[in-house]
Amino acid sequence: MTRQQEKKVTVRDKEKNFVSAVIYIYNDEERIRDFLEKINAVLSANFESYQIICVNDASDDNSLAVIREIGKSISGTVINVVNMSFYQGVELAMNAGIDLSIGDFVFEFDNMVMDYEAELMMYVYDRSLTGFDIVNAAPKKCGRKTSRLFYAVFNRYSRSPHPLRTENFRVLSRRAINRVHSMSKTIPYRKAVYANCGLKIDTIEYDNDRSCTKGYDKETRYQRKEMASDSLILFTNVAYKMTLLAAVFMMVATFGIGIYTLVSYVTEDVVSGYTSMMLVIVFGFFGVFVILAVIIKYLSMLMELVFSKQKYTIESVETISE
Amino acid sequence: MTKNKSKWDKIIIGAGLYGLYAAKLCGERGERVLVLEWEKSPFQRATYINQARVHMGYHYPRSYATAIKSAHYFNRFIKDYDFCIHSAFDQVYATSDSFSWTNREQFVQFCQAAEIPCDELMPDKYFKKGLCDGAYLTKEYTYDAGILGQFFVDALVGMKNVEINYGVRLQQIDKGPDSYVLTLESGAVLETGFLLNATYGSTNQILSLAGYEPFKIKYELCEIILCQPQDKLREVGITVMDGPFFSVMPFGKTGYHSLTSVTFTPHVSSFDSLPKFNCQAKSWGYCSPEQLGNCNDCVAKPQSAWPYMSNMAKKYLKAEYGFSYEGSLYSMKPILKASEVDDSRPTVVRKVSEKPTFVSVLSGKINTVYDLDEVLKND
Repeated sequence: MTRQQEKKVTVRDKEKNFVSAVIYIYNDEERIRDFLEKINAVLSANFESYQIICVNDASDDNSLAVIREIGKSISGTVINVVNMSFYQGVELAMNAGIDLSIGDFVFEFDNMVMDYEAELMMYVYDRSLTGFDIVNAAPKKCGRKTSRLFYAVFNRYSRSPHPLRTENFRVLSRRAINRVHSMSKTIPYRKAVYANCGLKIDTIEYDNDRSCTKGYDKETRYQRKEMASDSLILFTNVAYKMTLLAAVFMMVATFGIGIYTLVSYVTEDVVSGYTSMMLVIVFGFFGVFVILAVIIKYLSMLMELVFSKQKYTIESVETISE
Repeated sequence: MTKNKSKWDKIIIGAGLYGLYAAKLCGERGERVLVLEWEKSPFQRATYINQARVHMGYHYPRSYATAIKSAHYFNRFIKDYDFCIHSAFDQVYATSDSFSWTNREQFVQFCQAAEIPCDELMPDKYFKKGLCDGAYLTKEYTYDAGILGQFFVDALVGMKNVEINYGVRLQQIDKGPDSYVLTLESGAVLETGFLLNATYGSTNQILSLAGYEPFKIKYELCEIILCQPQDKLREVGITVMDGPFFSVMPFGKTGYHSLTSVTFTPHVSSFDSLPKFNCQAKSWGYCSPEQLGNCNDCVAKPQSAWPYMSNMAKKYLKAEYGFSYEGSLYSMKPILKASEVDDSRPTVVRKVSEKPTFVSVLSGKINTVYDLDEVLKND
């Protein structure tokens, strides 16, 4: 992004497109005010009409009170809040927010860490107008080793045309939202579904300010681990490959033992009954591993047909005005 | 104006449907009735500014009581006032796939239980793919407030014992030993043994003027958008439920459609007993918690939520069911606090005093006007 770009953004006419910004909020009371004000400033300067949807994932702190307070200071019915019934994690919560949004374009903010200039939003939006249904904003440097490992494994074993990486926010067209919803009933991991939706995707990198990185609490860390293993199972074939490989290896091994038993019957002097007993065992185990391989294949097919994840549960929806 | 200190059998405050219905009913029995109205003509507020829906009950899938009562009065209303009913359109209800408090099976079950007709349609006919899980052709009509108001005015003009005063500024309500004495700003003094408070948004203002306990309500300043339907939408009304959705349906016989949405129709709310809003300070004294002005004539009326409501409709509806903006109507809506969970809309008829009698009526629906019969009978 260049200075020229930024200047162009600030002087142009207001956009006619309706945009929604969906923001995930979980125990973020210190960040909310600053973040919402910045986003609102950019949106109100650039769009004739927009909405901001705050998805409050059952925060235990004063997040909701802070949102309400800010909502009152912003004129018009710009801010909506979706209150989740209980903590459900960023993926389900964001799905709820996106389902509620009515914009032609929707900004998704998975967190309120603003390690970029607020104007980057408009750069990303402009990029989508050039023909990309999904445009991601990704930091150049990613701090977390675990994240990097996850993406390395994921990208190695998924058949996705777009490799995944750490992203901070993105903009989606209504067409992209409709597409991913018609592709699968539930969306357990948005990034992976977006990457596979078949529409044009672009990623914009920015120099991030690493001092803003936010630590996760215990619950969120657990949720992220679960999410990571679920996604690897759902969207990549790594688990399927490993288990099938194991089954086949055991099959081959038992088969080898069978051969050895027959060979030793002929060449060596074995105790009577040993050979027949071994053959029965080998035959039985071989059968078990064949059945296992078939079952694994079946399971992976079933999983591809239906994602068994539940949809979200919401508690209330409110519109805040002055 | 009336002579100083005139006596009436009944005085009715508010010339909306409930007020004029009561006036006609009592006038036909030969009683001397006076209707007091703040506006310059009847039917200027809630009776006119709403979705103009003659409810059959579909709206209340979480309140069987409201639904069954609506259905019960539906037939009576369309028979009595058939001249103002517009019924030649397909009224489609749909349940949203996400965020709805009621899903497809539950809605069908509810219609069966409430014994109201409901034929299932293909949602894809009207809605974009995946947004609605069920769509139903229902039996529900719309009434034309202009025609209905004219009917009542014509009927009452012919009655020598009934009078309607417009532009009335009520100053004081005093309770005497066997009558209420009303003092107007004009100096006129009116006396009656039976006072009916048939106002809607101002109901607590009248109650507090008379010194009675107010209804427990919250207020919402609501916007109804009038729009010009495109060809395919002209003979279709669409309501997406049950949650933060929208409705676009014919507005009486005007040729327009009304567009409303649960999220964006209410602009600002007030949780005070008397309606207190920030915009009142900017109204140059036109509107106050003690006396609501008419939002449509107010300089401080809110900006239209058209971009929001139209975008929500656009998200759901197929492109061929389009419409364009014509204008906005604003009105004050009181909502009983108790009805938030089940979304019921009971008619509350409250008799706060007997001999002299003071009755307050509060109802959000047009076809439950018959609830008044009971209270007007025994006097």
